[in-house]
Amino acid sequence: MAALNETMSEKTDREIIITRVIDAPRELVFEAWSDPKHLDKWWGPNGFTTTTHAFEFKVGGAWQFTMSGPYGDFPNTIVYDEIVAPERIAYTNVGAFTSVATFVEQDGKTTVKMHATFYSPEGLKEAVEHYKAIEGGKQTLERLDAYVSKKN
Amino acid sequence: MRRDVFQGIADPTRREILGMIARQSLNVNSVAEKFEVSRTAIYKHLKILEECGLVKMQQEGRERYCVAKLDRLKDVSEWADEYRKIWAERLDNLENYLAELQTKNKKDGSIK
Repeated sequence: MAALNETMSEKTDREIIITRVIDAPRELVFEAWSDPKHLDKWWGPNGFTTTTHAFEFKVGGAWQFTMSGPYGDFPNTIVYDEIVAPERIAYTNVGAFTSVATFVEQDGKTTVKMHATFYSPEGLKEAVEHYKAIEGGKQTLERLDAYVSKKN
Repeated sequence: MRRDVFQGIADPTRREILGMIARQSLNVNSVAEKFEVSRTAIYKHLKILEECGLVKMQQEGRERYCVAKLDRLKDVSEWADEYRKIWAERLDNLENYLAELQTKNKKDGSIK
């Protein structure tokens, strides 16, 4: 019962929020989100490279990119819904969910808050599979890494 | 109207109903009796839960039983876990990348 309640209250809401303090001024953090030259370097996730095909950083504009891992390519499209430099970027992962990233600066550090909301059951299904695939790919990489280090 | 699992659990009464029947299936009247709100309101909630695929109604003799179908909730929590993990990593990457960038910029003597 406790497990079920936990699942329902914390994880099955339509929304997920993740917060992180980053040791960099807000302008720079915002820049890292608004230029593919930077995005390609950190969007990852680990073990993945991000390649931008098209990028238009304005409301209604899209970022088209592929996340490539050892066992697959994941094409993505993000459409920008709202851009308030350097505070806030709202975007839609087409077919799945919407996210809002907000940036708040204090003492030269920036708090990044990610807030994701689902809008369709198809999106949910796709996202589960997508993220599972990525996780699967990463585990493979970690195994490979362990294998290679053993060899050396 | 199209229903999805999130609509099912968006309402606190429906979450309570689910919690109640998760352990054991109950007949419709037993569910309704446990709430202050009207029977009609509970029936409506059950109908929505059924449409969302979270509850199945089963006729047994003269009684209708509500059976919880919680498989779909698992999908949601799986996604949430993966999403969290990936974003935790992504923000690690961002942090490292910006640290590198700032060190490099200081060396170059430029602000950016």
